[in-house]
Amino acid sequence: MALSEPVLLKRIPTPPWGEVNDRRLNHIDDYFDTGGYEGLKKALAMEPPRIIDIVKASELRGRGGAGFPAGMKWSFLPPQDGEPRYLAVNADESEPGTFKDRLLIDYDPHLLLEGIAICMYACQLDTAYIYIRGEYHQQAKTLQFAITEAYENKILGEGSMLGRINDRVPHCHLHRGAGAYICGEETGLLESLEGKRGWPRIKPPFPAVAGAFGRPTIINNVETLACIGPIVERGADWFKSMGVPRPDGAPPTAPASYGPKLFGISGHVNRPGVYEENLGVKLSDLIENYGGAMRGGKRFKAAVPGGISMGVLGPDQYDAQLDFDVGKKYACLGLGTAGVIVMDEDTDMVAVARNIARFFSHESCGQCTPCREGTGWIYKMLCRIEEGDGTTRDLDMLLELAGSMGAMPGTTICGLADGANWAIRTIVNKFWDEFEARVRKEPHVSLAVMQT
Amino acid sequence: MPDRDDPAILPQHFAAVAGRNMAWITKNSATMQIEQRDEPYLDDALRQELEATVMPRYPTRRAAALPVLHAVQEKHGWITHQAITEVARFLDINVTEMLDTATFYEMFHFEPTGKYLIWVCQSISCELLGHDGLLDLVRDKLGIEPGQTTDDSRFTLLTAECLGSCDTAPCALINETLHENLTIENFEQLIDSLD
Repeated sequence: MALSEPVLLKRIPTPPWGEVNDRRLNHIDDYFDTGGYEGLKKALAMEPPRIIDIVKASELRGRGGAGFPAGMKWSFLPPQDGEPRYLAVNADESEPGTFKDRLLIDYDPHLLLEGIAICMYACQLDTAYIYIRGEYHQQAKTLQFAITEAYENKILGEGSMLGRINDRVPHCHLHRGAGAYICGEETGLLESLEGKRGWPRIKPPFPAVAGAFGRPTIINNVETLACIGPIVERGADWFKSMGVPRPDGAPPTAPASYGPKLFGISGHVNRPGVYEENLGVKLSDLIENYGGAMRGGKRFKAAVPGGISMGVLGPDQYDAQLDFDVGKKYACLGLGTAGVIVMDEDTDMVAVARNIARFFSHESCGQCTPCREGTGWIYKMLCRIEEGDGTTRDLDMLLELAGSMGAMPGTTICGLADGANWAIRTIVNKFWDEFEARVRKEPHVSLAVMQT
Repeated sequence: MPDRDDPAILPQHFAAVAGRNMAWITKNSATMQIEQRDEPYLDDALRQELEATVMPRYPTRRAAALPVLHAVQEKHGWITHQAITEVARFLDINVTEMLDTATFYEMFHFEPTGKYLIWVCQSISCELLGHDGLLDLVRDKLGIEPGQTTDDSRFTLLTAECLGSCDTAPCALINETLHENLTIENFEQLIDSLD
């Protein structure tokens, strides 16, 4: 069932509710006029732990890629001890295929700021840092302007409606990155925020216990925080009326996929863009009803479900249901950021794999050897295969190499190499024939294809 | 693609395609000459401004590294080694620590750049929709490869990873402005329109 009304895109005209050409920046007055900051007012009338309970009850899962339940993350914070506590907002949107946070910041920055203010109050975090990627020049300006508006209207800062939080004046600062994908990884972000190179940290300790500057820190994605205002305003049950519940027979502790979600569609479709739908929408629905069907009437070949780290869905997975369980059901890593990249029948999957491998080898931070070396080797091998100089043995080595790097095989600190691992393995496995046709046969039987 | 069996070509070529300065490629700093000038890059006016606006935001001085480097680069166009030294002193950290941080980030330039920085996005959505034509256009028109600057110091060509504008691919960033839905024709007009 389609979403009945836009939630996150309430003020950002988007088909089927509005026209893209009507979009404009919502200033704080526009935001107030359209029911903005009501969630914050309602939150301030409650005791902070009650807000965490509501967010927990809504089963909101993080929209930044990992899908970790946000309320649970908030409840990991230790009790206050009089020292500072931080909120780090992850606006380092760098995953190829992802452009949803940019849309929210471009046109409705106060939706984010409302979520930030509620989170600061609920978790008693005195300072928020919005870590925005360096390439988002215009967005940084928009956000800085919105923060100034929020200070002037007593949403944040000295004498604001938040009062004193953790016995301090609540502040929100913009922090610009400088071009590094790895700073979108939560601990890489913290290192970068502390003025160091963005090398991810070993966990535990988790950031909720020892994060920025060694103090308890909550890190949430822009879209996650944008959901907070509406949830507090309209309640957990309303939020759970959207999306898909946990599958039958799953234990109550298994997280479900409730709520609306921003889906970014790009690639070979007629009308690429960000659209809002229930979690669990079918890929075919997204492409046909929102993306305006395949470009040039071509046939569907493959799609990345959510940022290239997640791997690909093959031609037989056109009807895949896009929720947080997409990984288990369709042999890919997961929903990720829900940045869907659609590819038509003419797409060269070897070139796609080569492009993705280049991305990861370029963005590997260099801290863990398997990732630093592995991503580079994979890139070189794929260049060789694309040139027509590969052999069947290369394909085996490619799969073995990819499968051995990442936090899941336990060879790296963070998940960057898992992204490379899954992207490459799913492409090679799901399009094996295409790869096999490009390499020189050797009298050597491939066994690697057996393991998906 | 050059001959892959030529050992002299492959590493260079790889570095050129995979990115300009990968973080782990060490530079020959032992024989490097650092140019010094009397006038500081981080002058008193900038120091005062930073002390008033940026420094109070953070519990440590080092945390201001990125904002301070951005401010220096904005003022001078690129970051000299002398500027690194000055910023390190300003933040009370070692010069090596400062260099370690600064060189990690792609947007900081340690060589002079052109007046216009052209970042062409080369990630997947842009490649699917023809970013290579844009790169070839700049190569042919301005005679520069990614990472190079024209002799008249007007243009620097750089390749970028996903600029977050996949719905309007292919796209490119010129200085601080994002240009969307590019074609070879409108990209050429755009470059021509830059003075």
